[in-house]
Amino acid sequence: MAEGDCGPSGPLEPARKDWETHVLAPALKRVPESNRPFKTGSGEPLEALYLPEPTSEARYLERVGFPGQYPFTRGIQPTMYRGRLWTMRQYAGFGTAEETNRRYQYLLQQGSTGLSVAFDLPTQIGYDSDDPLVSGEVGRVGVAVSTLRDMERLFRDIPVGRVSTSMTINSTAAILLAMYLVIAEQQGVPLQLLAGTIQNDMLKEYIARGTYRFPPQPSLRLTRDLFVYCTKFLPKWNSISVSGFHMREAGATAAQEIGFTLANAICYLDLAVNAGLDIDAFAPRLTFFFTAQSDLFEEIAKFRAARRLYGRLLKDRFHAKDPKSMMLRFHTQTSGVTLTAQQPENNVVRVAIQALAAVLGGTQSLHTNCRDEALALPSEDSVRLALRTQQVLAYESGAANTIDPLGGSYLIESLTDRLEAEAEQYIRDIEQCGGMVQAIEQGYVQRHIEEAAYEYGQSLETGARVIVGVNRFREEHEPEPAIFLVPEDTEKKQIDEIRLVKKSRSEQKVQASLDAVERTAHTDDNLMPVILESVRAYATTGEICQRLEQVFGEYEPIVS
Amino acid sequence: MTNDTQDLVEQVRAGTSQRVRATARLMSLVENYPERIPEFLVGAADWPQARMVIGLTGPPGCGKSVLADRLIRAFRTRNPHNSIGVIAVDPSSPFTGGAFLGDRLRMMRHASDPNVFIRSAATRGHIGGLLLGIKAFIRVLGLAGCRTVLIETVGVGQNETEIVDVADLVVVAIAPGHGDAVQLLKCGLMEVGDIFVVNKGDCEGAAQLYAQLLAVLRLNANGQGRRGADSCLVSALHGRGVEELVDLLEKRAADSEEAWRSRRRQTMVDDVKEAVLEEARQRLSRRLGTGPLATKDFTRILRGEITVPGFVDELLQQLTGTGEVKDHHGGG
Amino acid sequence: MDTRVSETKEAKRIPQRVLIGKVGLDGHDRGAKYVAHILRDGGYEVIYTGIRRTPKQIVETAIQEDVAVIGLSLLSGAHKRLLQQVMDLLKERDASDIVVIAGGSIPSADIPDLKAMGIAEVFRPGVSSQSILETFASLVKARRPAA
Repeated sequence: MAEGDCGPSGPLEPARKDWETHVLAPALKRVPESNRPFKTGSGEPLEALYLPEPTSEARYLERVGFPGQYPFTRGIQPTMYRGRLWTMRQYAGFGTAEETNRRYQYLLQQGSTGLSVAFDLPTQIGYDSDDPLVSGEVGRVGVAVSTLRDMERLFRDIPVGRVSTSMTINSTAAILLAMYLVIAEQQGVPLQLLAGTIQNDMLKEYIARGTYRFPPQPSLRLTRDLFVYCTKFLPKWNSISVSGFHMREAGATAAQEIGFTLANAICYLDLAVNAGLDIDAFAPRLTFFFTAQSDLFEEIAKFRAARRLYGRLLKDRFHAKDPKSMMLRFHTQTSGVTLTAQQPENNVVRVAIQALAAVLGGTQSLHTNCRDEALALPSEDSVRLALRTQQVLAYESGAANTIDPLGGSYLIESLTDRLEAEAEQYIRDIEQCGGMVQAIEQGYVQRHIEEAAYEYGQSLETGARVIVGVNRFREEHEPEPAIFLVPEDTEKKQIDEIRLVKKSRSEQKVQASLDAVERTAHTDDNLMPVILESVRAYATTGEICQRLEQVFGEYEPIVS
Repeated sequence: MTNDTQDLVEQVRAGTSQRVRATARLMSLVENYPERIPEFLVGAADWPQARMVIGLTGPPGCGKSVLADRLIRAFRTRNPHNSIGVIAVDPSSPFTGGAFLGDRLRMMRHASDPNVFIRSAATRGHIGGLLLGIKAFIRVLGLAGCRTVLIETVGVGQNETEIVDVADLVVVAIAPGHGDAVQLLKCGLMEVGDIFVVNKGDCEGAAQLYAQLLAVLRLNANGQGRRGADSCLVSALHGRGVEELVDLLEKRAADSEEAWRSRRRQTMVDDVKEAVLEEARQRLSRRLGTGPLATKDFTRILRGEITVPGFVDELLQQLTGTGEVKDHHGGG
Repeated sequence: MDTRVSETKEAKRIPQRVLIGKVGLDGHDRGAKYVAHILRDGGYEVIYTGIRRTPKQIVETAIQEDVAVIGLSLLSGAHKRLLQQVMDLLKERDASDIVVIAGGSIPSADIPDLKAMGIAEVFRPGVSSQSILETFASLVKARRPAA
């Protein structure tokens, strides 16, 4: 918080002093505060009580304002959930395309309002299911998609014109999006109606998530190509989801989550501007992805601070004119690292608190984790319970009835100010490094995350931070719940499928299209059209990536 | 040479399937039993030796490990049949004795190349940017057939002069954005380098730093500096300038191979002397011990009951007189 | 000269070398880094190999670095296949004396199979650093009896 914002000079000051001397002090004598550390989830100290700032109405307008109006602290829509509830979007994918398709059908029947595709690691990094290098990984953490045929099976009987689809894919984003576009073509859906999101956020892969394939510069070129293509042809499609989720889950604090994510966003916005895109054409299709962890108030404040800081960035730094460009829209997923393998039913409660934080923070869409996610892939029962949690919040809790219900809470406003200031400092530090790519190459971001993670771990060891069922309130003999296992024959099925596709496609067409990909990679032309042609010819994800790698090289991490 | 050492040496020489393991274990013997280092210096006279031992030093953050990785790749591409050995040194914690050996992370692509042997080492309290047994490590890598040995020092700068004694060629790397790199050169690194590299050549300030470097080198060439140092501008991360650096290294090797060989013969005599002194130091140190008894000994000196030289005479007599060292600190 | 006594004393102070890394494709290294940190603070020399390594890279590195223990973190669900490959390669390279420990999201139902293939210990989420250090210490001790 800036100096002087809440100095001891306000009109409340005499009353506060009086309360401290005559009410608080004697009470503390009788019952002193426990020596439990009073800190936020990120470890920041908390006062016992927050008081109104000596704030004026002008200051309120400048920093808090009205929902749907700059700086959007209270939310991006004037009506928020009174108008329309958030999108309930459960991330799902495992095994073969058929199995995942069945899960999607189930989710839609149960009231999900959007799809979110989890791809397996080979697909995310650009290896086909039959590559010996990825043996054992096929279909594990998501669905395997090696060719257009897999994508066709994945979306069988799902009208892509009517659901919005989110795809968690980065290194191979261009290829998987191309496949989805061909599905839309096949279903006769015009591209301009297609709604959804592609993650397409490579920077955080180098920092935290690790599904990189090419070095940063060529990766960012692919990102840019996708920006340009989407801005031109897919007006309802979010061409990037700048993700703080993974950095936070890797150990970052709440302030780091916003600071690093917005620093990444700056890099992407620069990229788009340098590619000649108009900021007001591009920025409205840039979206965000955050986590919600268990400290309810810190998380709510985090979302509000991120919105305000982003609004200011777009207005002051990028000179956006359209208010839509200044709105930070985001998806939230409840935290995976806070789930425990011990007493997994406790996770249901954690998820509910975290989801509440997302809703009170004004999220646009939400994934609630399943109770058994710390152990394995979620079963159908736990997926339903997770979705029901959102529905209880939406229809029973009252959280959706008022806009920014905690706005004006002394605590929330104070935390919002503090997180915004801290995040802004991180952004400045990263600029000192020469920008995000350099900050990553110097290990600046990774180091901060690692240190925060270590401190978190130490606080669990010492008991300064309590995780119920893990370092306190443990149970000796815990029965392990039944968990869902990926069918063991996934890999074999996938390999057979690729073999079939390769037999039926025109090899000449495939090679010609791959040659075109390689040729274009050497130039600065947009890669999307040639990738689309390759995908149409049933070239595999692995084949396309191999050609790109010929030109781009492979990324080797340079910092630990 | 003790039996276990000899067995391992034979395994390395014979080139059995156990060659790599035996090489690694010899290095562990060097690390874990410093008192046996002399075996490797004195007993290794007939071992094959590397053609070129390169030292790579420079301040933290200048990109040494990435440069090392690119050098390995360049050497391996140029001479596919030649093996290269790498020693990457990181500091030990003076408090716990533990160490995080992370240099290798940047070289992992070579992990399954049978012609690349990489060993991470912690300083274990040794001052000077290297480990105590560095010379023995180099010998072992020579025995294992490495034609080139690349040593990456800790890289904390000023007192890393030991690398000059163990390497034929010292490459000093600096990079823009890490303090006043030229100032750093002036206080210590200038004297150790044969080749000066400005790394991160694509970053802001690199060209300027390189110009400063050239100016300093010119100044030094006129004065009392080291014989004609070379320099080059490199971006290891993006693979630029690395080939030029290898050209410089190869040229130096071609010019000086003979001189290096004779220098090594000379240093072997020095090594023997050092080994003798080390053995003596260790025996005396063991005799002195560290417990309360040792304190008692020293108190005698402090009280003026005996002089330092007199005390040393006494010590030496005890050592040679009985031929046995009583374990002074065993009773503690 | 009685060097044995002092060597035994020395031996106690020799730092043990361990390799910590990840095999397979998942990039979540929070746990692996945390364990590396704990071991370093516990006096170990930790060779950290980072994410996305092949079993062959891990085994060759472990041999060159002459480590006592390999600790591998796996979260993608591919643990059985990948760990089996590591164990096979160690055997092939005559290095089965190197202790292998696994950690990550490994269902307890899989633990007997992993133990059967020779994995010495499986750390599951929530394990304390004290228990990690104790396990490493006892496994190292069991591997190399005191001189």
